[in-house]
Amino acid sequence: METTQKTSAVKRFVSQRGMGQVITVTVGLIIMCIVFGIINPMFFTYRNIANLLRQIAPTLLIGVGQSFVLITGNIDLSIGSVVGMSCMISATLMTKGINPWLAVVITLVCCLIMGFANGVLVSKCKLPPFIATLGTMTIGRGIAQIVNGNYNTDSIGEAAQGFRDFFYGGKTLGIYNAFWIAIIVWFVLNYLLSRTRTGRHIYATGSNINAAKLSGVNVDKTIIIVYIVAAFCSCIAGLITCASTGTGTMDAGTSYELYAVAASVIGGVSTLGGTGILLGTVVGAAIWGVLQNGLQFAGAPVAIRNIVIGIIVVVSVLMDVVVRSGKVKVRKHS
Amino acid sequence: MTEKQCLVKMTGITKEFPGVKALNQVDFDLYSGEVVALLGENGAGKSTLMKVLSGIYEKDSGELEIFGQKIKDWDAGKAKDAGIAIIHQELNMCVHLSVAENIFLGREIVKKDGRLDNAAMNEQTKVILSQLNIDLDPAETVDKLSISKQQMVEIAKALSQNAKVLIMDEPTSALTSKEIDELFKIIRKLKNDGIGIVYISHRLEELKHIVDRVVIMRDGCYITQMPFAEERMDEMISNMVGHEIKEKYPKVHCQRGKKILEVKNLNAGPMVRDINFDLYEGEIVGIAGLMGAGRTETTRAIFGADHKDSGHIILDGKEVTIRNTEDAIRAGIVLAPEDRKKDGLCTRLSVRDNMALPNLDMICNNFGVVNRKQEKELVDHAIASLKIKLAGPEVDAGSLSGGNQQKIVVGKWLARNSRVVMFDEPTRGIDVAAKVEIYNLMNELKKNKIGVLFVSSEMPEVMGMSDRILVMCDGRITGEFMADEATQDELLTRATQFENKMNV
Repeated sequence: METTQKTSAVKRFVSQRGMGQVITVTVGLIIMCIVFGIINPMFFTYRNIANLLRQIAPTLLIGVGQSFVLITGNIDLSIGSVVGMSCMISATLMTKGINPWLAVVITLVCCLIMGFANGVLVSKCKLPPFIATLGTMTIGRGIAQIVNGNYNTDSIGEAAQGFRDFFYGGKTLGIYNAFWIAIIVWFVLNYLLSRTRTGRHIYATGSNINAAKLSGVNVDKTIIIVYIVAAFCSCIAGLITCASTGTGTMDAGTSYELYAVAASVIGGVSTLGGTGILLGTVVGAAIWGVLQNGLQFAGAPVAIRNIVIGIIVVVSVLMDVVVRSGKVKVRKHS
Repeated sequence: MTEKQCLVKMTGITKEFPGVKALNQVDFDLYSGEVVALLGENGAGKSTLMKVLSGIYEKDSGELEIFGQKIKDWDAGKAKDAGIAIIHQELNMCVHLSVAENIFLGREIVKKDGRLDNAAMNEQTKVILSQLNIDLDPAETVDKLSISKQQMVEIAKALSQNAKVLIMDEPTSALTSKEIDELFKIIRKLKNDGIGIVYISHRLEELKHIVDRVVIMRDGCYITQMPFAEERMDEMISNMVGHEIKEKYPKVHCQRGKKILEVKNLNAGPMVRDINFDLYEGEIVGIAGLMGAGRTETTRAIFGADHKDSGHIILDGKEVTIRNTEDAIRAGIVLAPEDRKKDGLCTRLSVRDNMALPNLDMICNNFGVVNRKQEKELVDHAIASLKIKLAGPEVDAGSLSGGNQQKIVVGKWLARNSRVVMFDEPTRGIDVAAKVEIYNLMNELKKNKIGVLFVSSEMPEVMGMSDRILVMCDGRITGEFMADEATQDELLTRATQFENKMNV
């Protein structure tokens, strides 16, 4: 009795929508890990795995944020700038001697305002999301530059050691906190997306905004929520970045918005909206991190890493397209 | 074109999709200068058969002869070269380009130096259009044209490519009656020119104007064919559905109860002007009119989907404020919209998600977490009571047949205790059996003292299902009749009662 229940739960888990691509890329991820493990036996050491997980954390966070936006059929190009803002604002405040936790709160508020602005521009003002967030991307980077007078900050200092441990250096159960934070955020947001009314509204808005509206969904509110979620994730990623280097750097998070798109689409989130699950984004981010880490280990220069990652993005989406059109062909012949 | 030439001969065509035999040993032929109506319910295989003919689908077995020649390899490109053109229900036009640019798309006329020869293309377009008696400027961009004109451009495009066989899938569904007349004139002209036309339509009443022969399909099989004769309409319908429909419109009679809804001086843009009407318990009120009369706009304004300029909506004696659809749904006024694909259905989402979407407030706790058990009960109950045939509630709603999609669009509202349910063209493009089920559903609501407001362009349907009929024209209500007193002539007179613009 118990086993049948168990198998049906597994079956339900595997057969949920969007799982196909996730399974495919998970297999890819495993193969990748094995290959790197063979090339370099150091790959599977505790130390490397712990580092790898910590390395993945920011990508996972921004990927989750971007996935929310993509599922509603929109895009957020300001993610990287919000990471930069978060890093610079928090670092500047801390170097000025403000309590690190108060600095975190202030940073969070600033970033969420940015997300709110994105949401309002896209929903209420009906700007194309690409243009609206291109604008806020530039503004956000400008803010990151201006907060410390167009200089990177000095070290955030001894007083902020607790902050650095909490967001980056400290370990809980043998794993770095950065990873735990990312996973907890993922877990909560995954619950929000898959189990709550807001989550359903997000999918419905991306699937057919007219039908969603005519079903009583407040689509404007839904769009504002996803941009706030994206800004929240970016903010946390920025705090992790700040905690990792111990300084604020103005170009922190540059191009992250596109890495976020990459993590999302590798994991099966469609840029057209309406489809995709956050489990895929985790795998997408993991592939991203494993490639960076593994190729670095294998001694590949940055240029090669970029090329390989670019190819992976294209191939993973191409694979999905081929699988889908393959299905159509099978139907045609049989 | 004196002697009738066999253009198309299909014998024993079989086509299987996983789990379904879409076509089973189907025979079909078409001669020059005739219009053949291909009839059948949704899912009967009409479209599949035509897609095989036009090379979009590959047949599994059977023989295909085009102009007397046996065809072995066949694909969409070859079909097009051979002169087989298909005009889909949804038009395929580049709306930002001009008429001439669309007609010459992919085979533009180029001068020797490589520049486009727009003058020549416009000139040739003019010739093609004038042959068809279509009055259009070749340089006009397509998105400025009405749907009917766009359709004519598609026909002109097909003919400019020397089409000998023209397949038209539901060509009149988006046209007004005047536009239909124009289309039929063109069809008759093409027929005289010796072109063979396959005409797919659910609107049986319009066949008499153009059709020579009907071919009837059902469940993927060829059933019968007969020369068209109006008096055999019942026979055709019973062949299509396989069983006779005794009562075409299953109207029920209820005692008229108290007033539910009162709409007073409603204004919303140019298409909703000073609308006043009441709706009582135990009645179905139909809104008749031509396309573009403002009926859809009226229902959308009541539902809060579009902005209202002024007006009052009084529900059960109390005025309600409706600023958006959420307000309307909370108050108990819901709308099943006209265009399934555009407004009704979240495709790529499951049937379950679609059904649950407007009812999440009922199945969520205070934190907005969906109670999956309640959701399952709600969805299962709705699927069972609507008799939707499904592999399971998790299938993509967009993959279902038109009738089943419509049942979802309508059915998602039935889980709520609404006071007023508005249906906008609920039976458009769905098969006869599904239509009857939608009618029964409306009757069920009526019996349960829920107000039913029902927009339809099919006069017999409005007259057959409604207790009272409002007629709209040009954004105003121009007539009100008790259904048993109304005649089609009267309704049509009111529906064309445009304002005398000279006096304004």
